[in-house]
Amino acid sequence: MNQAAIETASLVKTFGNIIALNGLSFRVMQGEIFGLIGPNGAGKTTTLRILATLIKPSSGSAKIFGFDVEKNPSEVRRIISYLPEEAGAYKNLSGWEYLVFMANFYSLNKQDGQAAIKDAAEISGLGARLKDRVKTYSKGMNRRLLLARALMMKPKLAILDEPTSGLDVVHAFHVRHIIQNYVKTYGVTVLLSSHNMLEVELLCNRVALINEGRVIGEGTPQELKYSHHANNLEDVFMEATKLG
Amino acid sequence: MVSGLNNLIKKEVKELLRDPKILLGMVLMPLLIFPLMGSAMNISSTAVEESVRQVSVSLMDMDRGPMAQSLSLAFRSMNVTIIETHASTVDEALEELQQTNIMTLVIIPSGFSKNLTLGLKGNVEVYSVYKSLSVAEGVRSTIVDIPINVFEGALIRQAISQAFPNRDPSTVLDPISVSSFAVVKGKVIDVPPEVLRSLFLSQSLGFPMVIMLLLISAMQVAATTISIEKEEKTLETLLTMPISRLGILTGKLVGSVVVAAAGAVASMIGVNYYTSSIFSMMPTETVNLEALGLTMSPLGYGLLGVVMFVTIVSALALAIVVAAFSENVRSAQSLVGFLNIIFIIPSLVLMFADIEILPYPFQMVLYAIPYTHAILASKAAFMGDYFIMVRSIAYISVFTVAVLYIAAKIFTTEKIVTARISFKKRGAMKALFK
Repeated sequence: MNQAAIETASLVKTFGNIIALNGLSFRVMQGEIFGLIGPNGAGKTTTLRILATLIKPSSGSAKIFGFDVEKNPSEVRRIISYLPEEAGAYKNLSGWEYLVFMANFYSLNKQDGQAAIKDAAEISGLGARLKDRVKTYSKGMNRRLLLARALMMKPKLAILDEPTSGLDVVHAFHVRHIIQNYVKTYGVTVLLSSHNMLEVELLCNRVALINEGRVIGEGTPQELKYSHHANNLEDVFMEATKLG
Repeated sequence: MVSGLNNLIKKEVKELLRDPKILLGMVLMPLLIFPLMGSAMNISSTAVEESVRQVSVSLMDMDRGPMAQSLSLAFRSMNVTIIETHASTVDEALEELQQTNIMTLVIIPSGFSKNLTLGLKGNVEVYSVYKSLSVAEGVRSTIVDIPINVFEGALIRQAISQAFPNRDPSTVLDPISVSSFAVVKGKVIDVPPEVLRSLFLSQSLGFPMVIMLLLISAMQVAATTISIEKEEKTLETLLTMPISRLGILTGKLVGSVVVAAAGAVASMIGVNYYTSSIFSMMPTETVNLEALGLTMSPLGYGLLGVVMFVTIVSALALAIVVAAFSENVRSAQSLVGFLNIIFIIPSLVLMFADIEILPYPFQMVLYAIPYTHAILASKAAFMGDYFIMVRSIAYISVFTVAVLYIAAKIFTTEKIVTARISFKKRGAMKALFK
């Protein structure tokens, strides 16, 4: 039977008086590409940060492949990789050095380590530019390097916050292709958030609509479109969040 | 592959040393600035010395008597070049002076020799021309005092010899002779006290200065290592890597120590060149410190090493705690800049004063500051007072453990991601806890 990659139950997160998550529950199965969509401030990034062990829930629970993010953060960190929306790489290292630095955190033998870095170099598509310092990269190049870093270790779960943010059409297409390929080839589970509804529709097996810290709809893109009598996910989103 | 901690330390050092701000400001600047300052001061002081050595004086002798001639001889014997002026009035002589490079006019009025012979006061007028108000001018203006004093001394001794033919004039002029001895560590030392005083001064100035420089650079580096991760948005990714939070904290501390040590070595080389440039201008007497028992014992060195280690670790941990709350490098460095005051104050105060002579409440304030103990320990190391050193190590260690505990707490909780103090417009500081 397929194992649950992510299980959240009644997640609540408050920052002072602000309620960021208000009883959020969803489940992602192994090998799925699962999308979180919702308006700004809906709680998408907070959810991803909790799952990445960066912040702790105020109440409720979250498990990754059975490991509780609060009780077993070290175990969780060994099997996930997280790509924040506003991420950067070390400007004074070259792209290659950055990938080597990140790969070195995993206890790999030399051969596996080099294979992972080679893989990442290919994913990034940066070629000879990998030898240059990161500070000389464009925003798009930077994002491709970070995505390569997030996927190179073939994590059991990749948490990607706006993976194609800042990329042009060609590079965004390339990145989506890589994500799909990775899931197929290595059985990687992907949880992503995106504002790009077309991207979500193309990439995700299932989607959760979030608004005001709660899941307000969940299913495959087809199911959601059918239940909301909509032609595309954008219409579903507008209808479900009552923003239209 | 490399272990997580080694990996992080290597990256920290590589990245910090590649940061032009760190490399220039911390390593290259001290290597360049201090020697440049020393050289500049050396050049200017040599120029002052040269200008004083070649000093010429314009002399207007209106007396023409034997005493005036003797005074003129006294000037020449002290290597002062005398240029006789042919002006007939003071105004004319001064006007003449403006046309030349000569800065001093000495006038011996008529009646000078007669007065001195009759036992009355002889008057000499000295006019010093100031054109730029520089130190060199100030020194040049006093150059005529020496030959006048020498001449005056000769007159006094002559008068004493006449009044007391059977006495040595020095027994009248200087009837009491003082023999000074210094007692250090219970031993009487046969060294002039002024030599010992300058030695103590150089010791008491040197070490606090080095501690101050080292801590300022170390804290800036440590603050940068954390804040740059926030500024460049790399911290969140790093915190999700399979390395413990304490491992990250240790990596940051060790990386900062390595880079700060490079900065400190550069500062020390620079400061050493600077001070040797300065002291090369001063006449010094060589003192054998070893013979005086003023060298540090191996135990003293060892304990001082421990003092320095705990001091640096506490300063770094403190900087990391502060930087954890800042949003970017600039605000981290500003916050750490405020902290610098806690070691600048003890360093400055203890450079010139012993803690015991300070008012009691101020003593208490200083004793409460851990970095005071680092300086006290450095002084105690020379005097072989190991109790003070051990006490200092204990106090700084307790403080270090407390700060490390806070740093570890911040690192192991979500505060490292969410807490921040930002400098808003118009310099207002605002704490934001998301």
